[in-house]
Amino acid sequence: MENISNLLAGFQVAIQPLNLLLASFGCFIGTVLGLLPGLGPINGVAIFLPLAFALHLPPESALILLASVYMGCEYGGRISAILLNVPGDAGAVMTTVDGHPLALKGKAGIALSISAVSSFVGALISTIGIVLFAPILSNWALSFGPAEYFALMVFAVATLGAMLGGKPAKALLGCFIGMSLALIGIDSGTGVYRLTFGNLHLSDGIQFIVVVIGLFAISEMLVMLEQTHAGQGAVRLTGRLLFNARELASSAFTMLRSAFLGFGIGILPGAGATVASAIAYTTEKRISDTEGTFGDGDVRGVAAPEAANNASACGSFIPMLTLGVPGSGTTAVMLGALTLYNITPGPLLFETKPDVVWGLIASLFIANVLLVVMNLPLVGLFSRLLSIPNAVLVPLIATISFIGVYGIHSSTFDLVLMVVLGVFGYILRKLDFPTGPIILGFVLAELMERNLRRALSISDGDIGILFASPLSLTLWVLAAIVLLLPVIWRVLKRNEEARTEDI
Amino acid sequence: MTDRIFATTWLAVCIVIAAEMWRLSVPFSYDPVGPKAFPLLLAALMALCCLILIARPDDGAGRFNLALLGKGSALIGVLLAYAALFATLGFPLATALMIVAVSRIFGGTWKMSTITAVAVAVGSFLVFDRLLEVSLPLGRLWT
Repeated sequence: MENISNLLAGFQVAIQPLNLLLASFGCFIGTVLGLLPGLGPINGVAIFLPLAFALHLPPESALILLASVYMGCEYGGRISAILLNVPGDAGAVMTTVDGHPLALKGKAGIALSISAVSSFVGALISTIGIVLFAPILSNWALSFGPAEYFALMVFAVATLGAMLGGKPAKALLGCFIGMSLALIGIDSGTGVYRLTFGNLHLSDGIQFIVVVIGLFAISEMLVMLEQTHAGQGAVRLTGRLLFNARELASSAFTMLRSAFLGFGIGILPGAGATVASAIAYTTEKRISDTEGTFGDGDVRGVAAPEAANNASACGSFIPMLTLGVPGSGTTAVMLGALTLYNITPGPLLFETKPDVVWGLIASLFIANVLLVVMNLPLVGLFSRLLSIPNAVLVPLIATISFIGVYGIHSSTFDLVLMVVLGVFGYILRKLDFPTGPIILGFVLAELMERNLRRALSISDGDIGILFASPLSLTLWVLAAIVLLLPVIWRVLKRNEEARTEDI
Repeated sequence: MTDRIFATTWLAVCIVIAAEMWRLSVPFSYDPVGPKAFPLLLAALMALCCLILIARPDDGAGRFNLALLGKGSALIGVLLAYAALFATLGFPLATALMIVAVSRIFGGTWKMSTITAVAVAVGSFLVFDRLLEVSLPLGRLWT
């Protein structure tokens, strides 16, 4: 019951005119950024974070803007997936599999509308999940001491390393690189300068925003040089624009199943929308593909990944809000936004800043409704935006990024540093380093070090305290399992192959 | 191969970080850990990851498209110049120049890039500086 009254109070924050305006603006821009190939939620949130800060928006309004951009991107990715066969953001990869064949059959309108409804259902179920579970989790997390926190963050880093493809060494190295960037500057505990190499500009450390924009906007511009932008390849919208009752009924259970699946995956640190939509698609194919229609244009094949990726995007707010440990790159950026406002994320957030937390949750409901309303009739307008040439788009990204970074400290040094970090980010991306872990490491470094030092202050230097409580011990064991499992798996598989070859 | 080059380079960075932290003199510390331990631990972990990458590099990774080297360096050069001249030339002029250059790099025609440049530079200055009160520089050179 308390949740409901809190949620109602949240709605009072969310329906203030400024916040409603920001939510609609964020939803629209988010959809556009999501549908443009190359730009995804993390770029969108990164570009708008400094602007929100430079505009002196109050923290809850800034978060509402960023959250609507995030959700809008998850909606927008499917448009280019269906019409262009190019996923607009990473979460929409699986949507191309059935979405584009549908478009080629002249059923683009059906694919777009059914995927909009799936996105709505996924996000709605997941937001209800946040209302139900987040307060419980944050209450439980109140009992965490610094040692438990440290173990929790080790676990988050470990899952991230294991979840992102077959390259744990790269994901982890990326995370550590992010952490070492965060170490630069004055140490709050003792006042000594670390790794500044005598540079005065670095004594305050590298601003979070400079890292975010460098890694996600500047490096993206360099990546975009490589794409020949397919402005013409889009399938024209013809035929029925809305699904009929039969199509909706056939995919209703698909949506529900995939939404729950996506929510569960979203809560896990590290596993984001991409993993969720892939798992949802393969699961759905196994369960309901009795006639072998998946892959050449089945509406359920569009519904499953879209419901799952929106559900997982919302679900990833839970670890960020309740534990202060982000579950994905995008929520890491939003967590950094909180710290810019001097708000310490973590379980206390629900008690100290209820207006921020519940305002954000309520605005997720509002943004979701706005998005489905916007996306059904305006899909024609959005699909026309696919033909914006890069020659216009890229200068626009550059301008907005520079305004955002300059608007905060009016520092030319920050601008140069941002470009340098962008080039560094580009090199890392070309070497197949996932970018999410880098920003996650940057955000987690200070929290990790602070908790480690606090824990060892309590025990007066005895390392045993890190493993003393059952909870932290469990987290350490889980982290080890997550990291070692793929290795053990590989060895077992190789042994088995060797054995079958012997026979 | 590119993986090995990067991992070796970063191994050197780890050594620099470790050396920097090692000779850091800490006058006093209230906690038993101090400011050195965490960076040293990080450097060690990064070095370990680098060694793994050197031993088992990822073959599919790191296809730099050398044909884009010219365009890429031009873009980086334009952005660095934009950053350096942002406060000196002022936002409207610096932005207009940057947009013409970037738009040309991305294959825009002269006409298209000029129109975009004027529209975006003037429009964003009016919206952000005048309407939204994000103060942008008008140029040290002129004022």
